[in-house]
Amino acid sequence: MKPFLKTLLFLCIAGALALPWLSPPVYFVSLLFIVFMYVVMAESWVLIGGFAGYLSFGHGAFLGIGAYTTALLMNHFHLSPLWVLVSALPAGAVAACIAAVIGYPALRLRGPYFALITLCFAFVMELVVKNLDFLGGPEGLWLKAMGIDVGLARGIFFEVMFVLMVVTVLTVRHIEFSRFGVGLKAIKEDEEVAQTLCVHTPRVKLSAFVLSAFFPGIAGGLYAYYLSYIHPETVFNIDISILIVLMALFGGGGTFMGPIVGAISLSLINELLSAFLKAEYARVIYGLLFVVLILYLPDGVMSFFRKGKSADT
Amino acid sequence: MLKGEHLTKSFGGLRAVSSLDFEIQEGEIVGLIGPNGSGKTTLFNLISGFYRPDEGRLFFKEKEITGKPPYIIAQMGIGRTFQIVRPLPDFTLLENVRIAVLYGRHGIRDVKEATGKAEEILEVSELADKMHQYPLNLALEDRKRLEIARALAINPELLLLDEVFAGLNEKEIEKAVAFTFEIKRRFNLTIFMVEHVMKAIMGACDRIIVLHHGAKIAEGAPEEVAHHPEVVSAYLGKGYVARL
Repeated sequence: MKPFLKTLLFLCIAGALALPWLSPPVYFVSLLFIVFMYVVMAESWVLIGGFAGYLSFGHGAFLGIGAYTTALLMNHFHLSPLWVLVSALPAGAVAACIAAVIGYPALRLRGPYFALITLCFAFVMELVVKNLDFLGGPEGLWLKAMGIDVGLARGIFFEVMFVLMVVTVLTVRHIEFSRFGVGLKAIKEDEEVAQTLCVHTPRVKLSAFVLSAFFPGIAGGLYAYYLSYIHPETVFNIDISILIVLMALFGGGGTFMGPIVGAISLSLINELLSAFLKAEYARVIYGLLFVVLILYLPDGVMSFFRKGKSADT
Repeated sequence: MLKGEHLTKSFGGLRAVSSLDFEIQEGEIVGLIGPNGSGKTTLFNLISGFYRPDEGRLFFKEKEITGKPPYIIAQMGIGRTFQIVRPLPDFTLLENVRIAVLYGRHGIRDVKEATGKAEEILEVSELADKMHQYPLNLALEDRKRLEIARALAINPELLLLDEVFAGLNEKEIEKAVAFTFEIKRRFNLTIFMVEHVMKAIMGACDRIIVLHHGAKIAEGAPEEVAHHPEVVSAYLGKGYVARL
C-alpha cells in the first residue's frame, strides 16, 4: 500500500473513532452509523453474492433476525442495556443458524431461482414476525431505555458498529485471497468444473452463506438498540435487502473494496440528493445512476480502477 | 481399477448407454471410440458423477462410486477434462491450476505452497511462460493443455480425457500424443480417453472399446478393433462392409 493511502486510512480510522466525542451534530453521527451498518451488510453479502455469484436478495432479513433476537434476549432476561454489546453475538449466531436452514435447500438452486427464493424468504420473515404475538406482532417491540446519557450511548454504539465494520472488512479481505475465497470464485466461474477439481461445492457455498448472515445478525442487534423500538416494517423492510445488493454491485462484487465504496458512495449520494432536491427527483436520479452504471460499468466502480492496473502488467 | 457393471442411462426414450460392462486395469491407456451420439461422453459423465446411472454399478479401486457426487469422485482420484474446454475465464492459467492443487489430493492447503506446485505442473505442461495470461487469450492447443494440466493438478490416479485431440492439426496431435505418454509416465496414471482422431488413438492406446448406440460392439488391441466388421459398419455403413 502506498504511504499516502496508508496515512489517509489511518486518518479516517482516527477521525471515525474520535468523532462522537467531539460533540458533532447528531445527524452526522447517525448518518455514519447507518453507513457503517450498510458496509457490514454489503461486505458480508459479497461472500455469497460477489465471490460465489449467488445473488441473495434477502440478506436484509438477517438484520431483522439479529434485531429481534437481541430485543427478545434483553427483554426476557431483563438485562441491563449495556449487555447489548454481548447479546448481539448470539443474535449473529441465530442469524447464522437460520441461514444454514434456509441455505441448505436454497443453495441447490442457481441463478434467478436462488435470487427469487431468498427474496421470498425476506418477505415471509416480515409476515411471520408481524403475526407472532410473542415478537410483538404488528405493534413491534420496545427496548428498555439505556439508563445512561443519550450522547454517551450514541457514542458507544457508534464505536461498536465501527469495530464490527472493521472486523467484517478484514475477514472478507482475508477470505478473498484464501483457499476458501478461491473456491467460492471458482463456483461463480463454473460450478461443475469446480466440482471436478474436488471443490465440495455444497459445503463451501453453505459456509459462505452462513458467514454472510452472521455479521448482519450482529449489526441487527446493534441497530435494534440504536432504534430502541423495532417494527417488522423497519428492520425487515425489503428495501434494505435490495439496497445491499445495489451497494455491493455498485462498488463491484468481486472484491472486498467494492462494497465499501458502494455503501459509502450510495448512502452519501442518497443523502445529498434528498438534501438538495425534492425526494421525487432524487429517486429518479438515483435510478438513472444505476441504469448508467449497469450499462457502462457492469462490474462496478472498482473494476474501473482494476482495469487500469491490469493494463500496466 | 475402474469397473462398470450393466451401466444404463436413458434420456427420455433414448438409451444413451445401455447395459454396458467394462473394466480398466491400472497403468493402461484405454481408448473409447464410437460414432457421434454413441454414448461416449454420457459414459464419462456417469463415471465422473454428473449423471446417476438408471441401472448398474460403478467401482473404483474396489469401492463403489455409483451415484456419488462429482467432488467426492474427484477426491477419490478420478480427474477429467471436458470435450469443449471449460477454463475458468476470470482466472489466470496459474490460478486455474492452483485451485485444483488447493482442493485436490496433494494435501496442500496453503496458497503460497500451492502456487509453487501449480507452477511445477504448468512447467511440465509447457505453459509456464503463459501462466499469468487469461485462458481466452490462448490458442486452442494451449487451452486443451490447460484443461489437462488442471485435471492433473488434483493429483489423480485415473484421468478421463474427453477428445483432447479434436480440432488440432497433425503436428499438434503428434505433440499431444507424446504429452499424453509423458504425463502418464511422470504422474503414474491410468488413462481412459474418448477420441475421434483415429491416428492419435491407434498410436496411443493399449486397448480400445467401441461403443455404438450405447452398447459395446468391440473391444481389443487397436489393430483388431480397426478391422472388426461391426466397427467398420458402425462407422461407414453396412454397404461398405459388403463391398470389402
